[in-house]
Amino acid sequence: MDVLIAEDSRMQAKFLERKLTEAGHAVRWAENGSDALGLARQRRPDIIVSDIEMPVMTGYEFCKAVKTDPALRGVPFILLSTLSDPIDIIRGLDAGADNYVTKPYEPAFLLSRMNDLLATPLGVDDASSAATLEVSLAGQQFRVQAGRQQVLNLLVSTFENAVAKNQELVVANQQLAAARDGLQKSNTELTTLNTEISRINAQMVRDLEAAAKVQRSLLPADDVAIAAADVAWKYVPCQSLAGDFLNVFPLDDEHVGLFVVDVSGHGVPSSLMAVTVGRFLTPKVSDSSLLVRQAVDGGIVIVPPAEVATQLNRLFQADEFSGLYFTLLYGVLHVPTGRLDFVSGGHPALLRVPAAGGPPEFHPAEGFPIAFVPEVEYGQQSLQLSPGDRVYLYSDGVPEAMDAAQEPYGEEALVACVAGSRSEPLASSVEKLLAAVEAWCQPKGPLDDVSILGLEWRP
Amino acid sequence: MEQFRRIETGKTGNVHMVSFKDKKILDDTVLDEIRVEIAQLLGKAAGPDVLLDFSNVEFMSSAMLGLLGQMHRKISTGQGRLKMCGIRPEIFQVFKLTNLDKLFSIHKDAPAALATFT
Repeated sequence: MDVLIAEDSRMQAKFLERKLTEAGHAVRWAENGSDALGLARQRRPDIIVSDIEMPVMTGYEFCKAVKTDPALRGVPFILLSTLSDPIDIIRGLDAGADNYVTKPYEPAFLLSRMNDLLATPLGVDDASSAATLEVSLAGQQFRVQAGRQQVLNLLVSTFENAVAKNQELVVANQQLAAARDGLQKSNTELTTLNTEISRINAQMVRDLEAAAKVQRSLLPADDVAIAAADVAWKYVPCQSLAGDFLNVFPLDDEHVGLFVVDVSGHGVPSSLMAVTVGRFLTPKVSDSSLLVRQAVDGGIVIVPPAEVATQLNRLFQADEFSGLYFTLLYGVLHVPTGRLDFVSGGHPALLRVPAAGGPPEFHPAEGFPIAFVPEVEYGQQSLQLSPGDRVYLYSDGVPEAMDAAQEPYGEEALVACVAGSRSEPLASSVEKLLAAVEAWCQPKGPLDDVSILGLEWRP
Repeated sequence: MEQFRRIETGKTGNVHMVSFKDKKILDDTVLDEIRVEIAQLLGKAAGPDVLLDFSNVEFMSSAMLGLLGQMHRKISTGQGRLKMCGIRPEIFQVFKLTNLDKLFSIHKDAPAALATFT
């Protein structure tokens, strides 16, 4: 059949032309109503399909011209409309259109419309039965000339359009429902995962708390009492688990042991190593203690500090994978004489504050960190204390504590702090040092574990 | 030449030159990556001579010393030599505090260090 298209969009026209040609129709195309009317008068088409919004002459005007042309009035006329407004229907009726197809449309839908219209030929005389309808819509009065067949066609097409749109809506709705179900399923899975994460997290918190408790058991007993010496200590881990720990304890009636250990790194790996090291540094005679041995006569032998370090180094050979190591300062004070034997495996210098006045003195490490270099012998250092002398052991979290500008607290500040508090009780001196370090690190606080252990010899 | 994320590598004579791209070596993740990359670089070499250049490094955690210890052990077992240079005073303090300035061969800059390899 001979189809005439009026469409100002070249792309849409070409698309429609191809579909109609494929369906076996002859197609002519004009890009406005005026040109299309010219083509229709040249040769009467079997059917006209026209857009509404077009330059020069709109679809309504074109339709009216066709329907008032005696030679063309019998040609079925389909308007392509967005039908966004009920007034569009009235306008279509008034123009004499036979059918509407709503844009966007499926080509198959348009083709079936065309076939329906051609199967129901318009009574050429329909116009004679045309009546003037008075329509009131949106506060406006319309007077419309329309035949009954035309009104019926238009009504049916409007209804069919609505049905087609409804079907699309139903499909969209189904897709939406499917998406919603999928979302609900994901949500449920997410909730399950969340519950699982919470459970694992709670488990980890419990484990960490248990581990932290084990770690605290490495610290000095609260009621530690040492004959002829004052001791005071502060221990502030930067996380729940620390790589630092310290202890002070009587080894026998005449000897006091004291140490600070700092395992490199932080968190679980370091704290595990700290706990393991702690087992070897117990003052109770046991299979694991490196500090004391059972003597043949039933008494105990106090192992010299240097030998303790050498043994530890042998036991903790640097792990190929973790690269963990630790620094240790371990001292044994002979209480009757005030002789302090100690060993330092890469640990920050022992600080002595003489009771007689004069500047505090540093006694730096002579050995390397433990688990760092295989098979080394650690050398022992000795110090003769005078009554009232204080010694301070501390982890690198003290001199290396960084302020906001990344400046370390430093050894000078450390010396000034302990010298400044020499006339105060030892406990308050240790507290002041911790307070000074914490103040230095404001606003973030220390990023490393801070351990301080002070001892004053009072024979 | 292999491309690494954390280290830059080169060779002067038989000496592997390694410098660090990070200004801060504080994070465990960064440290682990450096460890892996150095292992990749030196994995096949037996007893290599290695110079670590720290001139780009502004901050370094003491955990990095553990890695240096591992390298020192491995390289000296194979009769190689490990030397370091370009260490700023703040970082040198970390070596001094742990007495490790006495263990490692530390030099002012790369030319000074390279001169001691011959």
